[in-house]
Order: sequence, then C-alpha cells, then structure tokens
Amino acid sequence: MRARLSAAVLSALVLWASGAEAQAPLTAVRVAGAGPIVEPTASVWKQSRPVKVAMLPQTVTPPQKPDTAIKELTVRAVHNGGWVAFLIEWKDPTLSNRIVLDNFGDQVAVQLPLDPKGAVPSPMMGNAGGRVNIMQWRAAFQNDIEVGPPTVQGLYPNAWADVYPDELMSAADARPYTGALGLENPISRGVATAVLDQMAEGWGSMTVKPDQHALGRGTWRDGVWRVVITRPMVSDDVNAPRLLPGDRTVAGFAVWEGGNREVGARKAWAPWVPLVIGR
Amino acid sequence: MPQVYNWQLGRTMEYPYEERHPKSQFAFVFNTNRCIACQTCTMACKSTWTFGKGQEAMWWNNVETKPYGGYPQFWDIKALKLLDDAHQKAGATMGWETGKPGPSKPYGEYSGMTLFEAARQRYGPEGHQRVLGYLPTDEEWRFPNIYEDTSTAYQGGRLGISAEGASLPEHKSWFFYLQRLCNHCTYPACLAACPRKAIYKRPEDGIVLIDQERCRGYRACVEACPYKKPMYRPTTRVSEKCVACYPRIEGTDPLSEGVPMETRCMASCVGKIRMQGLVKTNPDGSWVEDRQHPLYYMVKIEKVALPLYPQFGTEPNGYYIPPRWVPRPYLRQMFGPGVDEAIDKYTAPSRELLAVMQLFRTTQKMLSRYEITQGPKVYETTVNGKPWAMYNDTVIGYDARGREAVRVTVEEPVHVRPAQYANSI
Repeated sequence: MRARLSAAVLSALVLWASGAEAQAPLTAVRVAGAGPIVEPTASVWKQSRPVKVAMLPQTVTPPQKPDTAIKELTVRAVHNGGWVAFLIEWKDPTLSNRIVLDNFGDQVAVQLPLDPKGAVPSPMMGNAGGRVNIMQWRAAFQNDIEVGPPTVQGLYPNAWADVYPDELMSAADARPYTGALGLENPISRGVATAVLDQMAEGWGSMTVKPDQHALGRGTWRDGVWRVVITRPMVSDDVNAPRLLPGDRTVAGFAVWEGGNREVGARKAWAPWVPLVIGR
Repeated sequence: MPQVYNWQLGRTMEYPYEERHPKSQFAFVFNTNRCIACQTCTMACKSTWTFGKGQEAMWWNNVETKPYGGYPQFWDIKALKLLDDAHQKAGATMGWETGKPGPSKPYGEYSGMTLFEAARQRYGPEGHQRVLGYLPTDEEWRFPNIYEDTSTAYQGGRLGISAEGASLPEHKSWFFYLQRLCNHCTYPACLAACPRKAIYKRPEDGIVLIDQERCRGYRACVEACPYKKPMYRPTTRVSEKCVACYPRIEGTDPLSEGVPMETRCMASCVGKIRMQGLVKTNPDGSWVEDRQHPLYYMVKIEKVALPLYPQFGTEPNGYYIPPRWVPRPYLRQMFGPGVDEAIDKYTAPSRELLAVMQLFRTTQKMLSRYEITQGPKVYETTVNGKPWAMYNDTVIGYDARGREAVRVTVEEPVHVRPAQYANSI
C-alpha cells in the first residue's frame, strides 16, 4: 500500500515537475484514406509535425536500470477518421530481435488513458481505477512475422536432440511439453501482428486484452527504428479508448533497447504528452 | 520492507512480502557422502519434464562436481562474490554468532546481509533489483557436467603417489558431488523478484511454481535465484523451473495408491542418497514438532543435514549431509556453521540415526513416520577414539495414511546361492 501511495505521489510530482503542458503537444492530423495505417514509409507521415519526447530511465520500482540507452523519441501522429496511428522513431545501433537467455529484444509502447475525458491516470502504467491501454510493439514479433517463430535450429544451428515429445506422442499428449506455447501465452504463441494490445492499472498488472485490435509494423535501417502503432479510434472493446476528432487527451511512451539488456521495468519512459485528435 | 523470520539464520530479515506459510513444506535430505554422480536422477527428471523443444540445455536436476563444477558455471562463486562485494561496499562482514543456539536458531545467528538485504544498497550488475543477483550468460548453461571428477590440485609426490595416502578429517586433494534441484525455498528469491507476481508458492505443500500463462519472460527470476534454478526457454520466451513432480506429491500418480510419492529424481537414485518428504509447518513457518518424521529427525533433532548456502537468506528446503573429507572452511561457507557437528554425527552415527538412514530410497512412497524395533549388537569398534557399536535394528517406514510402506534392517540380508545354482542366470 505504501508503495502504491508513494508511486501515486511520485507520479503526480513527475507530472508536475516535467510539466505535461511544457511538452509540445502531439497532434494527430487528419489524413485521407481508410483502414489501418501501418506503413512507416507511408506518405501520410509528411503531413504530421514531429514531436521530440525525452525519455527517462524508470527508477521508481525495481527492477531498474538507471542507464537506459534511448534518450529521445521522435513521434508523429495521424488519423483517418477510423484509425489513429503513431510513428515512433529512435536511434538504435543494434538490431535486437533474436531472444535467448542473455539477449533481449527492442520494443516500444504507446499508452493511452482508457477514459480520455476522465481524470488522468498515473503515467506509470496507470493506477487502480485509472486503467490505461498499452500497445506494445516488439522487434521479436516483427521477426516472427517476417522470418518465422523461434526454432531451436534457428536460435542454435548446431543443436541436436535424440527425440522430441511430438515425435513420440499424439499432439494432445505432447502438449504439456510445449510449456507456455501449449497455454497460448501471448508472449509465446505465433502472432498475427507485432503489436500486443494490453491494459494495465499499475505496475505488475499488465494484461493482454482478450480483444486484439492494435496493429503495427517496424523497420530498422541505418541504425534507426521506425515503428508504427495503430488502433481503431472507436470499437466495441470496453478496454479501449474511444477517440473522436477534436478530443484532447494524453499519450505516454516507453522504449526498450534490447542491446542494453532492457526488459520489463528496465526501460525508458516518458511522462504524459498532450495528444490532440485533429478535426 | 516486511520483516520475516528465517530460522536458518536465527533472526528476522527483510523480504518483499509478509510471512505466510504453507500447511506443509516440500523438503529433502541428500547424503553427499554416498553420491556416485551417475546422473540417474538427472536423466529421470530430463526424461519426465524437460525433453521438449527449447529445453535442450535445461536440467532442473543436476549433479555437479565441487569445487569447480557448476550448472550454470560458477553459479555459487558468482553469487558469493556479489554478496562479498556488497559487504565490502557497506563496510560489513559476513559471519555467524554461534554462541547461543536454540530451537529457533539451531545454527546460531547470521550477522551478515542476505541477498535481499544487500540488494537495498541498489547495487547489482544488472541494475537495481529486489534481490542481489546476476544473469548468467547463455553459454554458462551449455556444459552441465563440466569439471566432472576434477579434484583440487594434487599435493603428493612426483609420480603422483602419495606417501601418506588420504585420511580424514581432510583430504589433500578432494572433490565431491553436489546434487541440486530447486530448493522450493521458504522465501524464494525468484518469487520476490518477479515484477508480475507470476511465481507462487503453493499453500498446500510449499512447492514454488512459475505460472506459464502469466510469465512474460523478463528473466528477473533467473537473475535473482542464487541457485539458478529458474531457466529461460527461448522457444516459448518464458522461464520454467522444477515443478517438484507435483502430480506425484499430490498422490495422483496411478502408482502411488493415493498417497504422496517421492519425485522422479528422488525415486530413481541408485546410490540411495536421497530422501524426500513433506514436513508440517506452523503458521509462523517453524516446523511442527514431529519427532518420528525422518526428515524432522535428521534436520531438527540430529542436525546431521544442513541447508545449502543459508546466508543467501532464501531458507532453502533442501538439506545436505556434508562430505566428510572436504576442508571445513569450504563446507562452512557452503552449509553454514553446523558443519562440524553434522560431520561428527554422521561419522559416528547414533543407533537411531543409523537405522533412519537405512530408509533412504527403499520405497517410492513418501515416508511420514518411522518406528524402530531394536535388534542385537552386531559390531563394535572405536571411531575417533570413542567406542561405537552397531545394532541390527529394524526400521519401519509409514506412508501418509499410516500404512507400513517399508521395513528394513541395518544389516543387509545376505542370500547365499545354493551350490547347484552357482552358475544359473
């Protein structure tokens, strides 16, 4: 309880000290077209004014990494009346999309309050009663889609085993040996999109939503990630924000540099950035 | 941070969660003196739980040759060094005050910092964490049996022949086998470190499990566990660990007739070094007095079996009868200050201890109670200058329902094959 209270106080202080109003607002400009906006190289991004977002190491709750690598994101936002999209760019000299024990993946996330018109939740993944929608893009998922899900031979080309359960047993009997895959853990299973649509009410409460609406795509070239995260502005998902032209809300960001062993709470984050949905 | 009582340290200590203890606790005693490192336990576990894709380098049970072997490599040396560095940084010293042992502090009182307390200095190779720890490299898990049978440097003559031979209490060149699995700790470091509360300790038997649906593969548990028993599975992108063969513990294995059964690694032990069971626990975490429970007797009454690296602070529930021939400072570092008493007790076992030790690996059923029927004296000698006698007592082990599960004598029965069958097969 004490941790929760101090977190809430700290969040308020951070919000006040960093000055959400001092941060240049991010405007999602109206663009032509319909359907999801997923291409980082699409021409629509030229219509949006980029906003620089300073990234801070998460140092409130353990585990922590005080020397996070990504110091700044460049963010653009657009919408086409049906979908709102964010283009997030940052410098990252190391492509990290292959995950083994001591390799971590590049990731970026956009956070939106569930209720854009209500009290602003804690920028640190929300708070009890202050639910947020967190859409997290993962380089490993992007690689799964483009190259294929991780295999033993792919990760360890010289690995060899006598026999595997699915060579001895029926699929049903071999299922327990698939571990989290057999339970359809969203981190493990094959994904249709590189973005996980999640919700949270504070640290440790991140939950993958039953309805997955967010989409996205990332490209890494010349040491720069360009990642698009997009979601429907209105849906029947009770755990998604409802965004309409003219709305004023906030957006939060987090980024993980896998090459710097950043994962989970070891991340760089940004306090709320004012977000305007253009008319 | 909440204060919890750790009886192995004889004091309260900091832990991220309030004390709450299971009704009974999965525990085991290993006799390191008897292990031959045949790895039958290792393969029993492997062929039961970890032969799926992505688990190739995963050995929930392993046997390593000490002092050099380790899975992952140098896990204990690295954890000890982190703890030592933290003490040096704080100007503190690790030590034990052994002057006033008692039921709540059988080994005295640990005066150093645990891994939880050392973590509060916000020190650690991976950044600040709830538990001081490190993440091994992927490569460090690749050679589970590295340094097998490698002894410390030979200190004999030029031709490799020692004029004196080897004798107790300390061999000049030595190694021993350390058998390891998850200790299902009373205060698990893995559980403390998980930011998602994906790890839980079962209220019925204290088994520590990783929820495979909730885990997100942050590897905080792998980093935090000083024994390095949570392991990362790259094909599922989450961590896994020893499940203590829970269907057997629950008595739901068809072979068990509804009573708790020992895990696969225990039941397969060729060297008869292992005994595993469930000990009843009080709400405050202390063990319910259970004089005739073989584990209670060996750990609490005889104190012949000791926890592995108690100074880490997790209150591990695996207990080891230390190897007699290894230098005592090394053993005291590994098993705490109870080492000398434990070796004395093992070297010249009491009549009761000798009988109880016959129960190791005599049945797959977990034993909840034992009784001894006295037999005749069969042997007399002196041990360390003191008279010692052996009696051919009979020890009877009972299962969880109080049914006789096994009956053995101290002297193994001898069967002489009749002459006409001398060459029969």
